[in-house]
Amino acid sequence: MGKSSEAEDWAKPESIAAKTLGRLKIGKEAIISLIFFGVAWQIVSLFTPSYIVPGWQVIFDKMIRLQPYQIYVTVVRVVLALVVSFGLGVLGAVVMYLSKKLENYISPLVKLVMAVPVICWILFAVLWFSAVEFRIFFILVIVCCPVFLIDVLDALKGVPKDLRDMILSFRPSKMQYIRKLLLPAIVPAVLTSWKINLSLAIRVVTIAELVGAVSGIGFALNIAQANFSVAEVFAWTIVLILILLAAQVPVSWVESKALRWRL
Amino acid sequence: MPIIKVEALRKVYVQTISSAKVVAIDNLTFNINEHEVVSIVGQTGCGKSTFLNILMGLEQPTSGKLEVDGKEPYKDFNSLKGKIGIVFQQDRLLPWRRAIDNTKIGLEVLGYTPEEQIKRASEWLTRLGLANFLNAYPSELSGGMRQRVALARALCIDPKIILLDEAFGHLDEVTASKLRKDFLELVHSTKKTAVFVTHQLDEAIEIGNRIIVFGKPAKVLADIKVEPSFKDDQSKIQRLRQEIQQILDKNQPIGLE
Repeated sequence: MGKSSEAEDWAKPESIAAKTLGRLKIGKEAIISLIFFGVAWQIVSLFTPSYIVPGWQVIFDKMIRLQPYQIYVTVVRVVLALVVSFGLGVLGAVVMYLSKKLENYISPLVKLVMAVPVICWILFAVLWFSAVEFRIFFILVIVCCPVFLIDVLDALKGVPKDLRDMILSFRPSKMQYIRKLLLPAIVPAVLTSWKINLSLAIRVVTIAELVGAVSGIGFALNIAQANFSVAEVFAWTIVLILILLAAQVPVSWVESKALRWRL
Repeated sequence: MPIIKVEALRKVYVQTISSAKVVAIDNLTFNINEHEVVSIVGQTGCGKSTFLNILMGLEQPTSGKLEVDGKEPYKDFNSLKGKIGIVFQQDRLLPWRRAIDNTKIGLEVLGYTPEEQIKRASEWLTRLGLANFLNAYPSELSGGMRQRVALARALCIDPKIILLDEAFGHLDEVTASKLRKDFLELVHSTKKTAVFVTHQLDEAIEIGNRIIVFGKPAKVLADIKVEPSFKDDQSKIQRLRQEIQQILDKNQPIGLE
């Protein structure tokens, strides 16, 4: 009964859109403030030279001429690095969860890695690696992986003893214990971690490409800055914001499905 | 024939910070026979839950012996798979699973086919008056309903022994009373051995056909047989209640007729 009604709900496109927009928190107030910002920007642009504050028409004109290839390169780098970071993070978290001794060894290293500023990792990568793609991949993984690891480890440790004892009372195998309790229990934390890391990765990849790459949005921003093309800088910035918003849609969709019990 | 054998059982905890030793169970000895419904009554913190944890195999005794169906629950953990069901004080339902999915979790662990899981879980939930709530999440159910799901979860694996750890303690009296009646009916109709742990004397007397009184730390202060006819006589119940209360207050073993 419930399953069929669930299926019906998710078969409705407007229902998915409404829920996703709800999750992204695009409310009436947000739309009003965005419109206000857009109008204010346009007014300021009328009284200032276009190389300082370009109008929306100039920015959109630049936007439609941007190279999609640079967007594609950046997105692929982010997705690949996040998937690998997530895999390594989960693996590390599970190992640390299962062995207190290993946790004692690994934990200080993770904290050390997290304490190093992103810009230092970018400089290290530029100095250490000549291969551009590996350089970017390294920076993203070294920044995002510890976040996944810490979030997943905390979530694993946070599974209540009451629930662990309840499952153990049925005497499950290790795999059943992980599949039926641990994995579903950490889903909320994992999804939150993905949201944080998506935003982090897009910001980090832009800086990394700006400093150490010959392709991608960061690199294109560097070129735009060298050409004093403020409109193009703004155009790329809008693209970055749109990428981040678009990336959150699938996460929000998964969240609204997997965490339906919380709604 | 005893299905649960407890011999000189002792459990001592060592506190992490002070290294002080705390005796939770002190020389506990008794047997429980098949099909018996036994209430274990004792003050809060007397080691009742520790005893249940040892009985479940979740904790190891410091010394002594405890056997369930001829096996030691901690050492032979997997050999008691499917033989013991437990209902905890809190329902301990998984919030991301619907009522039916929570109910069938034990069946999943035991390897029943998906069809059999759904069939048995639905039957138990229906039997416990939740036919219209099979697909409800725990957050959509009342406390009493959630505890019914927990009861269905424990019973649907068809265990030989069912343990209840103050299972109705946090419910209002009307709900708790109804659940106690339902539970007794189910236990008697399915001929289970039941161990019901509580700190409430009335509840212990209502449920058990035998009452074991625990001291603090856990040791047997009294072991009382309660005949079914006894439960119809309010004056006898009242006298028994007072006597158990005296035993608990003195924390000394007293012979009871």
